[in-house]
Order: sequence, then C-alpha cells, then structure tokens
Amino acid sequence: MTQPSSHPTSAPGYAELHCLSSFSFLRSASQPQELAERADALGYDALALTDECSVAGVVRAHTALKGRRTRLIIGAEFRLGCGLPLVLLAADRRGYGQLCRLITRGRRAAPKGSYRLTRADVVQIIEPGHCLALWTPRPADLAVASRSAAVAADPSADPSADPSSDATAIWLRTHFPGAAWIAAELLRDGTERAHLAALTTLGAAHDLPLVAAGAVCMHLRTRRRLHDALTAIRLGTTVDAAGLALQPSGERHLRERERLARLYPPALLAATRVIAARCRFSLDELRYEYPREIVPEGRTPAEWLRELVDRGAAQRWGGAPPLRDHMPAYVRTLVEHELALIAELGYEPYFLTVHDLVAFARGRGILCQGRGSAANSAVCYCLGITEVDPSRMSMLFERFISRERNEPPDIDVDFEHERREEVIQYLYTKYGRHRAALAATVISYRPRSVLRDLGKALGFGADEVEAIATAAGRWDHGIDTVRLREAGVSGDAHKPSDAGAVRRFAQLLELSQQLLGFPRHLSQHVGGFVIARDCLEELVPVENASMADRTVIQWDKDDLDALGLLKVDVLALGMLSAIRRTLDLVSQWRTARGGAPLTLATIPPEDPAVYDMICRADTVGVFQIESRAQQAMLPRLRPRNFYDLVIEVAIVRPGPIQGDMVHPYLRRRRGEEPVDYPSEAVKAVLQRTLGVPIFQEQVMQVAIVAAGFTPGEADQLRRAMAAWKRHGGLGHFEERLLSGMRARGYDEAFSARIFGQIQGFGEYGFPESHAASFALLVYVSAWLKCHEPAAFTAALLNSQPMGFYSPSQLVRDAREHGVEVRPVDVCVSDQDCSLEPTAVHPMRGAAAGGAVADRPALRLGLRLVRGLTAAGAARVVAARAARDAATAGARTPFADLQDLAEAAALHRGDLEALAAAGACAALAGNRHQAFWQVAGTEVALPLAPPGMDRTLPLLLQPTEGEGVIADYRSLGLTLGRHPLALLRPHWPPGRAGMPPMVTAGTLAGLPDGARVRVAGLVVTRQKPATASGVTFVTLEDDTGNINLIVWKRVGEAQRAALLRSRLLEVDGRLQREGEVTHVIAERLTDRSRLLGALRVQSRDFR
Amino acid sequence: MARRERVASTRRAFTARGTALGTAQPLALPVGVPGVRGPSPPGAPPPDLPPPLESLFDTAPESWLALQGVAVADLERLAQLAIGFSPRVSLEPDAVLLEVRGSFRLFGGARALCAQVLARCREAGLAPRWSLAPTPLAALALSRAGRGVAVLARDRLVGALAPLPIAVLGWPPAALARLESIGVRTLGAAQRLPRAGFARRFGPAAMADLDRLTGLCPEPRRAHVPRERFRARCDPAFEADTAAVVLREVEPLLVEFEEFLRSRQCGVDLLMLRLSHRARDAQHGRAAIPPHTQLDLRLAASEHRAAAFAALLTEHLARTVLPAPVIRLELRSGRLRPVVAGSAALWRPGEHGGGLARESPALIERLRARLGHDAVYGLCLVPQHRPEAAWRVAEPALPSASRVTATPAHPGSVRRPLWLLREPAPLPWPFTALQRLEGPERLETGWWDGLDIARDYYIACEPSGAEVWVYRERLAPHAWWLHGVFG
Repeated sequence: MTQPSSHPTSAPGYAELHCLSSFSFLRSASQPQELAERADALGYDALALTDECSVAGVVRAHTALKGRRTRLIIGAEFRLGCGLPLVLLAADRRGYGQLCRLITRGRRAAPKGSYRLTRADVVQIIEPGHCLALWTPRPADLAVASRSAAVAADPSADPSADPSSDATAIWLRTHFPGAAWIAAELLRDGTERAHLAALTTLGAAHDLPLVAAGAVCMHLRTRRRLHDALTAIRLGTTVDAAGLALQPSGERHLRERERLARLYPPALLAATRVIAARCRFSLDELRYEYPREIVPEGRTPAEWLRELVDRGAAQRWGGAPPLRDHMPAYVRTLVEHELALIAELGYEPYFLTVHDLVAFARGRGILCQGRGSAANSAVCYCLGITEVDPSRMSMLFERFISRERNEPPDIDVDFEHERREEVIQYLYTKYGRHRAALAATVISYRPRSVLRDLGKALGFGADEVEAIATAAGRWDHGIDTVRLREAGVSGDAHKPSDAGAVRRFAQLLELSQQLLGFPRHLSQHVGGFVIARDCLEELVPVENASMADRTVIQWDKDDLDALGLLKVDVLALGMLSAIRRTLDLVSQWRTARGGAPLTLATIPPEDPAVYDMICRADTVGVFQIESRAQQAMLPRLRPRNFYDLVIEVAIVRPGPIQGDMVHPYLRRRRGEEPVDYPSEAVKAVLQRTLGVPIFQEQVMQVAIVAAGFTPGEADQLRRAMAAWKRHGGLGHFEERLLSGMRARGYDEAFSARIFGQIQGFGEYGFPESHAASFALLVYVSAWLKCHEPAAFTAALLNSQPMGFYSPSQLVRDAREHGVEVRPVDVCVSDQDCSLEPTAVHPMRGAAAGGAVADRPALRLGLRLVRGLTAAGAARVVAARAARDAATAGARTPFADLQDLAEAAALHRGDLEALAAAGACAALAGNRHQAFWQVAGTEVALPLAPPGMDRTLPLLLQPTEGEGVIADYRSLGLTLGRHPLALLRPHWPPGRAGMPPMVTAGTLAGLPDGARVRVAGLVVTRQKPATASGVTFVTLEDDTGNINLIVWKRVGEAQRAALLRSRLLEVDGRLQREGEVTHVIAERLTDRSRLLGALRVQSRDFR
Repeated sequence: MARRERVASTRRAFTARGTALGTAQPLALPVGVPGVRGPSPPGAPPPDLPPPLESLFDTAPESWLALQGVAVADLERLAQLAIGFSPRVSLEPDAVLLEVRGSFRLFGGARALCAQVLARCREAGLAPRWSLAPTPLAALALSRAGRGVAVLARDRLVGALAPLPIAVLGWPPAALARLESIGVRTLGAAQRLPRAGFARRFGPAAMADLDRLTGLCPEPRRAHVPRERFRARCDPAFEADTAAVVLREVEPLLVEFEEFLRSRQCGVDLLMLRLSHRARDAQHGRAAIPPHTQLDLRLAASEHRAAAFAALLTEHLARTVLPAPVIRLELRSGRLRPVVAGSAALWRPGEHGGGLARESPALIERLRARLGHDAVYGLCLVPQHRPEAAWRVAEPALPSASRVTATPAHPGSVRRPLWLLREPAPLPWPFTALQRLEGPERLETGWWDGLDIARDYYIACEPSGAEVWVYRERLAPHAWWLHGVFG
C-alpha cells in the first residue's frame, strides 16, 4: 500500500538515521510501525531504527515498510562506558551480524534491562566498512568533552577512553575510516546555531563529515504528552516533578522535509542519503540455515526424510519399507504430495529437527503430541510427531506450507509438563547455547498496568491509583471509561474546584489509549526455540532472561514468523503428564495381577461407553471438555465419534461463538434446518461440518474455492483475521472476497454471511489440526476416566496444579463414581496418590456382578499434606519400607509418633503438618492428641534422638466441624461430610415468600422455570470473553454441583457478592434445556461469614 | 511478640467473629458469639452497667479499665480524657488503659466510675468498648472480646476470662492455628493445659502472657505522658495600656518559658501571645472592642532564649495598636522542638565572616516583624522548562543552605533574562522593529497542569537597544509577546 506523498518533490530528500521506537523502553512514544508509516508518508528515502542497544523492534518496522518506498536501515544506539553517544548502522549482512554480536556482548555483560560496552568492545567486534558510525553529541556532551580536554593532558590516562571531543574524533576516524560521521541534531533549543558551528569546526579539524539527524523519539509532535508521561514513568516520578528531564519541546519527531530544509545546510541533508545508500542490508537477506547434524553423513536431507517416513509408515501400517504395502492408497498419494512440496521448498531439515526431538522424548518415555500448523500431516503421522490418523481427517497441507510465502511450517510439540525441562536440556546439549535460544515474549502494557503507571505519572495519589487499577478489573478487556468514572477519581465537571481532577482524568483517558499495547519489557517465551546453524548471535542479539542461566533472543514469535525463521515450540501440557501417570498406574496394577500393560496404542478407539459418558457431560477432569462452557455444549452436541469431538473442541471457542456458527450447526445436526450448499465446490469444503465453517482452514478454503483466492492469499487472510481487532485492515479483503464471490455467482446473502463469520473468527478461530490433536487427548482422557476412574483421579491429583477443578472436586467426583478414597495415613500413604486393593465386600461384590473386588481404591498421597516438605515425605516412605521388611505382620510399621519421628528423622514442622492433616491417626489417636504430642518435639541434637514430651493432657475430642476445617486447611479437601451439610441446620431464615432452600440433588426433579433458592461453596467462576458478560458459577453443596448462570445485569449490580463470595446463596429460577439444568441467578447473597475459618478457594477462569 | 503485630492479628481475628465455623466456636453452633457487640453509636444513652464481679475475701490491688475500639487517631484524645480519672494512664497500640483502683472512692465506686468515664467519652463523641479487670492484659482481653464487665476480684477473673476466644491475646495467626490444632480455642482451655507442656510447645513468651493475664506475673505499664506545650498567664496589677508595659509584664513569663524550654532541651518556632481586653460591644457610635488581641510570633529557626523572644515581641508590639487596655496576658507555645544548643561563635558578628549564620535569621525575623511576614521572601529556581514555572517564592534561604539548593544551570546553557515579567505582555513594538539576536528556542510543555505552552522564544534587541526576551505563539494567530528583559 503506497500512498502518494502529499509533499512537494521540491523538498530535498532525507533519510532519518537516528530514531528510537517504543522498544527503547520508556524512551520513545511511538511504535516502530507508526514511525515506519510516518516516515513513508513524509517521503523519506530511508528510516534507520536505532533503538538503544536493541533490534527488538526492527521486524515490525520491516513488515510495515514492505512494499513501500522508504527503506528500513537496521541500527542501534549506544552510550559507551566512557559516555560516548554512538549510533551504528548495518551496511551489509556481515555488519548486521557484528551489530548483533555487539548488542549481545553489551547485554550479556549487564543485568537484565541494561547493557555495558566500552570502546574496546566496539573495536573488537565491529569491522570498519560493514557498519557505519554516527557520533551524536548533544551540546552538553561537547561541553563535558572540552572541559576534560584539559585533564586529558594527564599522560597516565587511557587514551582510548579519553572523552574529550578531539580524542573521540580521532578515535572514530581511526577505527571507522570513511565510515564515521558527526550527526548534527538540531532541535530548536536555542543553541543549534552555536552547536552546528562547534560541530563544523570539530569536523573540519578532524576531517569528519557532518550529517543531519533528528534524534527522533516520536512519530508525531502530538506524542509529546505521552513522551513526557513515559519519562516520568521511567524516572519513577510525576510529570510535574520530572522537570528538566522532560523534553523542552516536541521537536524530536519525524519532521517534514521542508522544515528540515530550513534548518540544515543542504550538504548535511544530502549526506543522509549517501549513508542510506551505503546501508544495503535488509532483513529479507536473513535466510534460515538449518542445523546440519540432523542428517547423517553422506545423506541428503530429502533422502533421509523419505527414509524416516518410510520406516514410520512401516510401523503404522506394517509391511517393509520402501514398499509401504499396507498404507491406504490415498494416504500414499498424500505423503507423496507433501514430500514433494517439502522438497520444493527445502523444509526437510525442519521436519527432521522436530522428529529428532520427538524421537528423543519417546526414547525417554516422555509422552508428547504435536499440534499446530504442520503437525497433522501424513508425513508427521508417519514420523510419529502426531497420533492423528490422516485417514480420519481431511487435511489442507497448503494451510501450513505454501509456495507463495517463503515461510517455514510451524509445529508445536506438547510434552509432559514436569518433564519438558529434559527436552529443553537435550536441545541445549545437542546444539549448544550459542546456537539454541528461547524466543522472546514482548510483555506489553495491559489496561491495568497502563492505568497504574500513567496514574502515578500524572500525579494521582497512591489510593487513587489503586482505585483506578482495580477499576480496570481482572476480567475486563480494554479500558472501561464508565467503570473508571466509578472509581471516584474523575472529579465533577460542574465544580470549579474539581477542574484539576477533571483535567487529569481526561489526560489519563487520552494517554492510556495511546499507551495500550506498548512493549514494557522482553520476557522469555514459554517454549519457542530458535536453532541456528552457526552462531545465533549473528542472526539476532541474545540477552539475559530474568531466570538465571536462561537467555532470550530479542525477537518474539511473530517476528521470527515474519522473517521466516525456524522455530520449534517445546510446550508443556499437564494433561500429558496425567495421562502418562494413569497409564503407569494402570499398567502396574494390571501386570501385578497378571494382565497386560495399558498403553496409548492399546486404548480401544470409539468406545460407545465413553461417548455415553461424554454426552452426559460427566467430564470432570477430562481434557478440554471439562469447563462449564464445554459441559453445557456436550448434551446438545452429543458427540458420538472422534470427529464429533474435534468439532466439539473447536466449536466452543470465542471465534465460532462470535461468528454465530454454533446455533446453525446444532440446528442442522439435529435436523431442524436443511443442510444446503451454494455450490458443489463449497460443499466439498463444508460438508464435514454440515455447511457451517467451524475451522480456520475451512474459511480459507472457502475463500479459495468461492472467491478465487490463491492459497497464499488465503493465508494472508488468516493472518489478517487474527489481527484485525488490533490493527484493523480486513478492508481490502472484504472487497476482494465479496467481488470474488459475486463473480462466481454466489448470492449476496451467502457472501455476507461468510464474511461475517470470518470477522467473528478473529484471532480465536481454531485450526482443524489443533482441534484434532486436542480431540485425541480428549478421547484418551475420557476413556481413562470412564474405565479407570481411580487411577485417573490419582494421576490428576499427582499432576496438580492443572485443569479446571480443584483436588477437592476431583476426589468428590471420583467418589460419586464409586471409587473408594482413603485418607492420608503415614502408615500406608506413598508420596503420590496410589492404588490399593479393596477388601472384597460380599454384598457389594455380588451387586456389581463380582467385578468390584478387582477395582482399586484410591489412597491419598502425602503430597497433599500442606506444609510437609517433599524430603520429609520421602523419608517417611523410605523409613516405612525399611520397617516393613523388618517387622512384617505388625499392625503398624511405627510404634508411635516418637518412633516415626526417629525412623524418618522428621523435624517438628513436618510432624506438625502430618498431625494437622490427620495422617497420624493410626499412631496417636485424634488430631488434637497427635498435634499435642508432635508439637512438643524438640529439635533433635546430632546424637540424641528427638525428645518427645509424652504427657497427654485432657484435650477435647475434635468436633466434626473442626475436622472439616482442619481437613480443608491441611489437604484442601475432606473425606468427611460436606460443610454445607453441617451448616444447613443453622442457615439464616430466608425472606418471606421465598421458597425453602433446595439441594443440588433435588434440582433435577423440579420443573423448568421453578423459583428456587440454593446455596453452596463457590468452586469455579468462569467469565468467557465472548459470553457477553455472562458469568458461569459452579456451586457445590452436600449433594452435588449447581450450575449457575449470572447474566451481565445481575452480575454488575451484585458485583461484590459475585466476585468475593466463598459461600453463596442464590435466589433464582430453574432453567432446563434438555438434560442441562441451570439456575438463573436473580439475587446473590454472600454467606461466606458462615464458613468462618474454613478455607475454600474458588478457581476463576476467563 | 511485637506489639504492632499483635494488634493487627487481633483485628484480623475479629473480622471473622460471629461465625458458625469460626475460630471462636466449633462448627454447628448458632451464629454469633454472645456478648460481642460493636461500639454503640456516640450520643446514645449510657447502657446500664452490669454489677461488678466482686468477692468478699479477695480483692485485687489494682483495677485496670481498658477503653478500646476507637480509631487510632482518637486514642490520644481518649488518653487525655482518661487522665481526668486516674494519674496512671497508659497508651496501648489499640487501647487506653487506666488504673482506677485508687479513684473508686472519689467517684463513688467501680460501677459509678465506669459509668462516668463512659459518659465523659460519649460527650467527647467517642464510644469505646470497655472492661475493668485486675490486670491490664485481662482488661484488654475482655474489652477486645466486647465484654463490658467489671471484674474486681482475682478469683472471679479466671472464670470471666475462660470463655474468651484465645484470639483476644493478639498472638500471631500461626500460633493461633497451632493452638487450634489441639482444639484449644478459649483462654480457659489454654489455661487448663499443663504449664510445662504448654511452655514447651508454645514458648515461654506465650506462657508469660497467660500468667500476666491472671496476675501471676506482674506487668508494668509505661505511663502516658501527654504532649507538652507551655502555657502561662498573668493578670497585671493594673491595666496595661502601652506596649512597654505589656512588654514588662510579659518579661517574667518569657523567663519562665526559657526555664521550661531549657529543662526540656527544647525550642519553639511559634509563640502566641494573647492580650485580653475588657470586651465592649459597639454602642453609641463607638466601635466594638474585640475581646482580645492575638500576636503570633513565628521564628525562622527554633529558639529558646527569652531575650530573643523579647526582641521579637518588641518589634511586633511596635506595629500593633492596642484597641483597649490589656487586662490579662497569656503566653502559649507552639509544639516543642528539640534543639541542639549552639556553641558561641569565636568571632564577633561580621568579623572574619563569623556569626553570620546565627545573625541572619534574626535579621529576617526583624524585617518580617517590621514589614509583615509575607513581605520578606526568597526566590529559588525550579527545574522546569516553562519560564513561568521555573522559579517560585521560597522561605528566605539561610546563607549556608542556599549553597546546597543551588540548581544546576539550564542544560545547553541557553540564556535566561534576569527580569521576568509577571505575565507576558503584548509586544509594545511592531516585531519588525526588533532585531533578533538568538533563537528560536522552542518550548512546548506544561500540558499536565492545564497551562500548556507552545512558544518560540527569541532574544532580540528592541529599538532603544535593550536586550529583551520575546516569544511567538506557535498556535494561530501567532501573537508576539514580551516576557523578559536582560540586564
């Protein structure tokens, strides 16, 4: 998009060579793309982005300038240790590499967020000619320099660090022969005439040419307010107190060329173009070079990939390579097609890199699952990167690899969350730290941080800032003016005395809109790795991350993507850990009883019992479909096969919900609406989802078949979709899409609907490949829950924290499914939750057809005991094992608490934690007695055993309520009666006319629309971003869960009760939709006081 | 246990009071701890106090009244008020304690005394929780629990304390949680535990707290010393009608004041003299006479010498017209400030620069006394770009201090005029008549306080040859203004 420059061509050409963006954190009031676009609009020849010791913003500027007249120059600004202000510009690829190395050197030598460089570093790393140097002295620098010129006569001083201007000029000319300039930055501060004269003299004396520059830190003059505010934030003060640290004027913006012509001698302006012409480097030259070691000696990557695919296919389908006899014919075509495309674009090393990682994980027994763009290809299935069978899916490989854009594919691999570190360490060992590093995540200003920082800078009081930040809320998007006004800091516009407050508030609103989305600092990405063939430092600077021994590159994932650099996402997924643990537990249990171990591969597919369970929304603990929103959808969608699960995973997403795809799909599925297609081509795309686009790929494909997009264009559309909310700019796609569809004879209504759905998709659309990968884990976890509930619950408890539900709810759910859950006991419990044989109960065994005896019970593990150290728990288990060997047959392995303390060398803190959790009941009676005994334990002397005071006073027997409170405090759950059962007799009477309180269990028997009063512990609150302000609350009482829907109006009117209650009473109406029962809340009453010391914590989600 | 921590934890403990599952009560008891009441609103009639718990044989040597549950800001007021009932008053972080055993007879018994104290509080707009007990800690505990009871006998104390939740002792939450783990929630339950075992598990400090509670172990309290001011007055033998007479009459008060200050090693920077007249309303065409004339002497530095006060007072009196003869003089001090007594100067004032530091405050005080307080001020530079905001009126700087506050030169060493117009004035000459010497210097700043400027400043030579500082508005209509004149 090049817009014609509105500036007369008579103005001299200019290139801005010194310009800071928002990535010089808090020093610039404009984003890189804003600067780039403005420079182009002003008709600049080039713009050098020279952030302070950073190139973090260059990719954004590079993208913004693509296809425009203005060229981007990559550079960086430095202030060396001696005080020398220097701008270095990359002239060519080599110079760029040196710049990156210099930045890396400076950043690695200083704590995160700062850098340290000397002239020696510059001389060592930068070769003259590959980088150009601009010396950017301010008048103050010259003053300092000339003063110290007298001091420089001291012969003992290091001549290379001599800060005098003459010495600096000589140093520059020596080390940058023909490549150094003095930048004259004339900023209308009243001194420019003298400054220019001084520089001219200096330049003439040392034969250094002068060049014009603007020291730019905002793209428009109007950003000076924001710049002042940022300065105040940087200095930790207010704008009023920042004083002379602020810019005296807004002159440091991208100035119009006419203005520059009036200010600078023509030669200085011409010099900018000379320099710009010498800087030929473009980020497009960065081509990714793959690591070499993934291919064995003497093989080409293409051969090697084909061989691995063949081997994998043989394993999947049988037969000997390279025949692939049993491979279905169309899969074989697919594989050939994909391999051809991969070969054409040269992406073999990428697939090999990922395969290498996955193979490592497999070898270590770490579960992993690929997802993300290219994962669900036939090639990846053969390579074992994914388990999603291509014969079960329709794939759009071009979605991930396209000829048009020269971008590598993207594969994310999830690993078990507790073992991912092993994979990362493998990466580091294999490629070395100089070649592998984590991508950055740009932490940006969010509403809350914007308001807090700006509030302080504008001089709001500490309390007011807190009120403002609170008003931003943790759930709210954007900045809600209405809610801010409620914070009571806006002042009254009609009161003259409030004029100051009104003004400050208006300023806060104005500036906060500008600051939103500005980068704040670089953090490390959760798992996006970049691997370089040679030296990463020459590709992108590396800096220290806040975590010790971690480094991070200066670009984030989007930047890497935009430049087409390879990255591998090594992600952590808790559910994989839980699944692996379940498989281990079950296998152990089965093999001990002569059965066969259970593996992923031996889990039977398409088990109707599993789908029955899913249709009942009985999915607590199941991957992805356990959330309230998913549970509400399950009985309506009634998934009966794997592909239904794929749809289920994808459809309960903000994208399809906002694009209004859910209801049409459900109606068609239930046969309430005819399924029709405007054409055969569209039918082929949308048939599998009944004519409603649900996946990102379908939207792209519709654009291809119905509007004539090329696959590459369709991919651009996808990107635009992801970003249009933030940047706008679906405009020309809309035109292109609608006209394309019109030309192919589609009616307006259909085109408009498709476009509306694309818009709704926004950034929340789910690609089919992702959904398929997830659906696989959904099925596996649902199968395990259905058939191995005890092992599954144990594994979930051992993998905490993860998922939607707390241990308390998981245990409760397991017990409702007939799992016997046994308390933590020092005499039996392992560190983790484990399985135990149930005693064969003749009655129950008979009732359940004799199968009960075989079902394991769940023994809670010591890991649940709050305050118990892991080492202490391990010693208990070890001591018990030793005792068991010695005293087989004793009732308990330990004689008493003293014995336990000695055997396991427990200190008092651990003992107290165990006693408080009731885990010592077998040794010491009730909790009170146990605690009294262990509390008296003296710290053990090296030789003497810990002394224990054995006097036992008369202590009260713990009441049931005390037991419940102690259970929650120590374990987060109770196996006793539910607190609500104990509270019910003492419940405050309701208002007259209200129905009596009912339990979750009786709700099912009440008619739709009945008025009800219910109460329960608040266990989850979920406020999906797109549910138009609805909050889903789950209450738990002694008989089950109550699903509450709080509409926006009710929630806002009773915000405090909604957000703060731990125990909530609700008046409302029952709503039944099929099998789903909800209570629509009307009045919320916070009853948390009744809980007193009982600690229950709700889990809150977006 | 740090006292501050105790108070905080006590507060926390009580935010949860009155709950069925609360620390204070086992689960499944009716809601609300009996007897816990919030403070009654000020102005309500005093409640009927329960009869004190007395015993025929045992009478404690002390009786402590705890007043608790008012805002921290009001505590000092409460303490002041309590001094009227007992000389032994102690200010606690969250309460006021007074030992009232000795005052019983004076006020007609314990019950009457408590009633009077509470009535007095109510008059002052305070409604503290209260209780009376033989030990300070017990009184505090009872009042924190909201029990308005008077326990006079030691043998009744244990019974009165037993049902109280243990949280009233203000122990840290961790200690309370550990006690709860053995089922101990009340003071009674804690006291029933074996002493050695208790001390071993919960520490000697906790044991000592329990002992102090019942008086097994004494607990001295530091007496509250109210904040001091000097106040003295004299009624002259005959009406003083001239400044000289007033001065003579006030002299002894000043000497007394100096003694007072010396004994406390303090000085003041504010001294107030109130001269009372025989008041008269306006009548028969004669102006009304105000009841008194007030002279406030502010000092540039803390001072304690009578002579200095007298000198200053002389100046003030010289400027004051007495509307009527003075019948009473009252001298009050401002807040006392500690002084470090200065050593005498080696040199006489003026000699080798000696003594200047001490002399100039006196000069400033004298000038101010003559010209008015606001007429003498200093200037200081403010590091701001906006010329209007780049200076402000300041207290006249003492010579030693001024060197410290000297602001660094404006960066870039641009010139600023010595004379700045209070308000920029429209240019008195056509701007074509000006010869621009330097500039422009662009200033665009100050948006945050609503006085945003956008100007291009020039140093120019006006037709008569003087150098002036002028600017042109950057916004239309681009008016020219005169803002300063160089020397």
